[in-house]
Amino acid sequence: MSIIKTTRADKVLLLICIFLSLYSFAYVKEAMPKGTEVRIEVDGKLKYTFPLNEDRTVEFNGVIGTATVEIKGGKVRMTEAPCPNKVCIHQGWIENGAIICLPNKVVVTISRPDHSKGPDAISG
Amino acid sequence: MQSADKYRIAILASYALALHGFEALIPTPIPWLRLGLSNIITVITLFFYGIKPALTVTMIRIVLGSLLLGTFLGPGFFLSLSGGLAGTISMCIVMTLFPGLFGPLGISLIGAFFHNIAQLLTAYLLFVRKIEAILVVFPFLAVAGTVTGAFNGIAAKYLIQEIQKKQIIP
Repeated sequence: MSIIKTTRADKVLLLICIFLSLYSFAYVKEAMPKGTEVRIEVDGKLKYTFPLNEDRTVEFNGVIGTATVEIKGGKVRMTEAPCPNKVCIHQGWIENGAIICLPNKVVVTISRPDHSKGPDAISG
Repeated sequence: MQSADKYRIAILASYALALHGFEALIPTPIPWLRLGLSNIITVITLFFYGIKPALTVTMIRIVLGSLLLGTFLGPGFFLSLSGGLAGTISMCIVMTLFPGLFGPLGISLIGAFFHNIAQLLTAYLLFVRKIEAILVVFPFLAVAGTVTGAFNGIAAKYLIQEIQKKQIIP
């Protein structure tokens, strides 16, 4: 048997593996199914549900005052809020995740309509 | 099969089994993340003895390993079985189709990659049924597979070179 060593093909394959595995992070983020529903909760109770693909502006009452949420082009932002620090407004447009205004107890989330009640995980 | 071959397969399988049991003791940040150290033995077997012994060693390692760790026929067993077989078979195919093109490093990387693909597929078909969950896990597994595959491949290379230098046959 000939002497075994690391070949050029090995090194090329290693580089390809490193590149592909790092690239897959970006790829998977793109390929993830996106949320389609905007849910607005006030003080823990679901107040409105809107489809993400219809542009609209909603004004509603929070716990300490009136808040305005804008849905436009598949993105959501808080445009007006009565809270002192305006963290929710400064968050700007979001495509997924949530905007949370603590003083006003308003939670805006982008989610998918199905809420299947399966197990969270199975470990072996 | 010659009795000398049986003896070698038994020795190699017990090395693989020992590494398999040893790595189950090593804590990892994610519970199902494993180093795949026993793949070092699979690669060495493949380079010295070829396809059939490599598959035999893998099968012995998976079945006996799961019996020893108490996971036989549990969810982890099927993940281990599909991953182990896919990894070994893919390494065998590449060794047969492109003899001499890859050294232990490349072969080990290929094995690690298909091991992960098969495990994700099994997890999807048997347990999770949610493509998002598989997609979220995939990049982490791919990175882990590259790191452990490269580490195991380099370890296998040094072991093979030592064995050749010292003229000892495992």
